[in-house]
Amino acid sequence: MSITQLDKYRYLIPKSFREGMNVEGLIYASEEIIGAIERDETLKQVANVATLPGLVGRSLAMPDAHQGYGFAIGGVAAADLEKGVVSAGGVGFDINCGVRLLASDYSLEEVKPKIDSLLNQMFSSIPCGTGKSGILEISFEQLDKVMLDGAHWAVENGYGTSEDLQHIEETGKMSGADPDEVSKRAKQRGRDQLGTLGSGNHFIEIQYITEIFDEEAAKAFGLKLNQIVMMIHSGSRGLGHQICTDYLEVMQEAMPKYKIKVVDRQLACVPVKSKEGQSYLKAMASAANFAFANRQMMSHWARKAFEHVIGTGSLYLVYDVAHNIAKEEEHSVNGRSIKVLVHRKGATRAFPKHHKEIPHDYFETGQPVLIPGSMGTCSYVLVGTERAMLETFGSICHGAGRVMSRHAAKKDISADQLIHQLKEKGIHIRGASKSGLTEEKPEAYKDVRVVVDIVHNAGIARKVAKMVPIGVMKG
Amino acid sequence: MKSQFKILEHPSDLGIEAHGSSMQDVFRNAAYGLISVVTGDSRIETRRELKVEIRALDRENLMVRWLTEILYLYDAEKFLTADVKFEALTDTLLKARLLGESYDGSKHELKIDVKAVTYHQLSVDEHDGYWTARVFVDV
Repeated sequence: MSITQLDKYRYLIPKSFREGMNVEGLIYASEEIIGAIERDETLKQVANVATLPGLVGRSLAMPDAHQGYGFAIGGVAAADLEKGVVSAGGVGFDINCGVRLLASDYSLEEVKPKIDSLLNQMFSSIPCGTGKSGILEISFEQLDKVMLDGAHWAVENGYGTSEDLQHIEETGKMSGADPDEVSKRAKQRGRDQLGTLGSGNHFIEIQYITEIFDEEAAKAFGLKLNQIVMMIHSGSRGLGHQICTDYLEVMQEAMPKYKIKVVDRQLACVPVKSKEGQSYLKAMASAANFAFANRQMMSHWARKAFEHVIGTGSLYLVYDVAHNIAKEEEHSVNGRSIKVLVHRKGATRAFPKHHKEIPHDYFETGQPVLIPGSMGTCSYVLVGTERAMLETFGSICHGAGRVMSRHAAKKDISADQLIHQLKEKGIHIRGASKSGLTEEKPEAYKDVRVVVDIVHNAGIARKVAKMVPIGVMKG
Repeated sequence: MKSQFKILEHPSDLGIEAHGSSMQDVFRNAAYGLISVVTGDSRIETRRELKVEIRALDRENLMVRWLTEILYLYDAEKFLTADVKFEALTDTLLKARLLGESYDGSKHELKIDVKAVTYHQLSVDEHDGYWTARVFVDV
């Protein structure tokens, strides 16, 4: 059974695609990229998700979607709070992996000549790379506080200011966290990783704004042409990975009790309101808070690096969004307002203006949505729209989306060649590992411009600004 | 002891295909495969010993829990596994002694951060006395 193109940017997976689908699937794509999505297991995985009990609306995939584990990456699925399920795999291993953007009052001319020194300073003050421990030694009691208070803990301990908190999803402190639902093992794995960037696709980029698409929204977000901004992409590190691992097992063992069968073990799930489901959500919120604190701490060190190398100035937090998370939200489904648990796995919340969750200074504009591109290309700020509320539970894509395996990415270019190529384009790089760099080469991903144009043209978000990097720090 | 495994490609991440002439072999080789993903060809000596006991729902589940244990010992306790002595191995129970040493930055390379062991396209099969396991890890 094949998919049906509904319009230029929407492809429907009918319920007849596979047995057991409770809802339809919908892919946001264009003729240019639907081929890449069809080549791997993305469609099958979106259809598999549609077989989960109690889903409402459709099983969604964004234009950056690619094959993941159980759930496709770039997927959104909302479950009825009473009849639906929560799945640890529907959030993924890196709980609250997310992105934040800081806008500066430094100009391109001030920063560009000093970019190497700035990267060196950042590289020496922010731990990054495989197996890297943090600078801090924190006790298990302190770790519990981090999991309860998130970015608030960070601010109370001197990392950033209370103004930052207003510009973080959930103000950087997700309610419902309970460290008692987090295993000793997860705490042990995460304890020395607080305040670390990690490796893989995590990064910090110094960028400048090259294009403004929406003057009014850009002004509200404090963005202007040629301005230096900084993007940080990281998550909850080993703590989140272990929580997901633990609860995949808890859910698998509990499924027979709730008479739930899944078509892929990675989709293991339990009713949202079950004891196991509630325990998972409390542990997930704990990891989410760890990730908010983690990004807050790295912002603080990056600000210090700017002050040290460039001079006095400010880096003001535009916004911080999660892109691996499950959240209780109220949405309108078939004209009826209901409470649902929205799983966003490699997808970003994108709420429109006048939504109660939006910071007051963005209330008349909408939520900033931050979309990083692949290394050395470009990134975007978008803003949420009403249409996303109607179609995608207020969600859009989270990045460019990988199209090449890490191994394949390394085949035809060396790290030194890549560093040279990017330098020619005016992009300076510091990487903890040379092989890690080539894995993240721009060609390993879809073209983020195409991905962003699809969500913009489909009307589920609006482009506000485009940024190009001048400095990249890779884990 | 010669390892028998190879690294598989996955559009987003990577997998381990382990072989063996017994269930013990395939479980052991899968563990070696995981350690090689983490530390490359670093030489690991057998200076310490740890005991593990793992219970599972079935054979595939046991493989995931086994590799999750090896990963945890590395990521949280900095223990690198070099050899495995099984004391019991059924579809639902694994008891073993792990021989290895603590991570030492001066001689062990840290190649890839493995986030977790997944159930994606997981298999642990035996055909005519020949065992094969495929496990994908999230990196």
